[in-house]
Amino acid sequence: MAVLPVPLPSAKMAAVEKRRAAMAPAANFTDSGRPLVSRAAAAAESEEDFLRQVGVTEMLRAALLKVLEARPEEPIAFLAHYFENMGLRSPANGGAGEPPGQLLLQQQRLGRALWHLRLAHHSQRTAFNNNVGVAYECLSASGRKKKPGLDGRTYGELLKRICRDGEAPEEVVAPLLRKIQCRDHEAVPLDVFRAGMLTCFVLLEFVARAGALFQLLEGPAVAVADRRVGQAVLDTLEGALQASDNSAAPACYLEAGSRLGPDSLALAMDRAMSGRRPSTPMTREEFLEKAAALFIAKVKPVG
Amino acid sequence: MLSPERLALPDYEYLAQRHVLTYMEDAVCQLLENKEDISQYGIARFFTEYFNSVCQGTHILFREFSFIQATPHNRASFLRAFWRCFRTVGKNGDLLTMKEYHCLLQLLCPDFPLELTQKAARIVLMDDAMDCLMSFSDFLFAFQIQFYYSEFLDSVAAIYQDLLSGKNPNTVIVPTSSSGQHRQRQVLGEASMEGVEASLFYQCLENLCDRHKYSCPPPALVKEVLSNVQRLTFYGFLVALSKHHGINQALGALPDKGDLMHGPSLDEELERLLVPRSPGLIQLGHASPEASWPAFPDPSRLAPLEALHHIPENDGSTEETDD
Repeated sequence: MAVLPVPLPSAKMAAVEKRRAAMAPAANFTDSGRPLVSRAAAAAESEEDFLRQVGVTEMLRAALLKVLEARPEEPIAFLAHYFENMGLRSPANGGAGEPPGQLLLQQQRLGRALWHLRLAHHSQRTAFNNNVGVAYECLSASGRKKKPGLDGRTYGELLKRICRDGEAPEEVVAPLLRKIQCRDHEAVPLDVFRAGMLTCFVLLEFVARAGALFQLLEGPAVAVADRRVGQAVLDTLEGALQASDNSAAPACYLEAGSRLGPDSLALAMDRAMSGRRPSTPMTREEFLEKAAALFIAKVKPVG
Repeated sequence: MLSPERLALPDYEYLAQRHVLTYMEDAVCQLLENKEDISQYGIARFFTEYFNSVCQGTHILFREFSFIQATPHNRASFLRAFWRCFRTVGKNGDLLTMKEYHCLLQLLCPDFPLELTQKAARIVLMDDAMDCLMSFSDFLFAFQIQFYYSEFLDSVAAIYQDLLSGKNPNTVIVPTSSSGQHRQRQVLGEASMEGVEASLFYQCLENLCDRHKYSCPPPALVKEVLSNVQRLTFYGFLVALSKHHGINQALGALPDKGDLMHGPSLDEELERLLVPRSPGLIQLGHASPEASWPAFPDPSRLAPLEALHHIPENDGSTEETDD
């Protein structure tokens, strides 16, 4: 969408005044019953004070910083969620004043942590790390009786929620959870938490991409792929991942990239097609599971 | 998943591109207009409702024109609201005049300028008398082009005039004929000699699209429109734009012409649209939707022409429709 100019800050007040003026006919149009607040010339100043006093200025500043940090594709929807979450958080806006039960509180904390984690994509590492930190604090600040800190149970529950919301099949992510989960009563330090969250989000994206890859491989209208081709792709992927074991960081990225390039991939698929006999087709689940296993094999287990 | 350009932009450009500050500023203005609401619901709730209504496109209802045209999203939302609210006009097959359509527009935006409605009507009626009747869909699609691409069309009009006067298209196209003959031919109204040469026109428009900072239709589609003809007039061009369903799709506010009258039942749509969700509606009172329409009754219960007669009389700029 092309850009329409945003009013410059200097034009701000003028724009506000114009809006006021334009609102007058609208007010007539709706009802004369609604009291029209008289606006003096000094209103602008007192309005600024008013906004500061009730906390709007600070609230918007924080929201804008979050937007800039996360750079969401849809900033307006992002803001709607942001304020919605904030409304849930402050008890003044909760409506009913009763204190929620422990279980509900726990759910709310999980929801809030998830929301923070999703604010920025994991590739925006600084923003993501900040959000992981905030989520960790959310979860650590538990009820009055308990000591602060995050236990393995809550951490595990959060991991499960992320995987479930990520729509990855359970059997695909289960091996990862086994690797990075902590015991229920173990305390989870921040760096373990951060590594776990990052791995989980990266795996979900990996699975999503593998799913897209499978869609290209599957025959039209049959929803299964030729086993020979599928296996060739998986083998190539495995080879590329193994390359990273042998050489230093920048070189291994290049090598992995070249192994996964369209030409060598096509060659491998072609060889597989002509070399072996067709056997039972490969389903999407199997493909995803095997692809994820390649990834998970690289993940270091906790402890 | 990721669009890296978004992440590479400087902060201010990112915010400007997505009009974040426009909406934040407007949210604050709305909040100041409705201070009573925040003491009741809280500030976070107010902003949640505001930004949700922006997402749903209901934020433009009954707002001032300067706001309605402020962003492409607002324009598209207004077009969709206009279509949803007054589809009954099309469904009943009623034909209305330009002034009547203008009244409908003013029901949604009290200070909607007559000039824009006139320009849209001119696309439908060409040179005919401006008090002719138009079908809803003809008007809607012409209005869409005129309203959404308003600034672009102004520039196009200037280019067209330049081409008409700066170069003499007749001598360029038919070098052998004398000007005397031309005058004769034009008097005879030979259509093929009207307007400007399409390919030349396209070159100018391509340039314009490149440097235009407002929304313009996708250049590939403009090219398609212009490659079908040798010569065309300004209004011929606008008509072609308004009837091009690719451009309609690219704009994304309205369904295809064939589907204009389909979809969920009108009452349902209206109900959804009129539920007071947006802060703009909260100010109308906290009662039921019906109670928030003091000046004209729930339009879903009225035939469209009947609704026209319920236009608020206290609005001085509203045209008389009783004739």
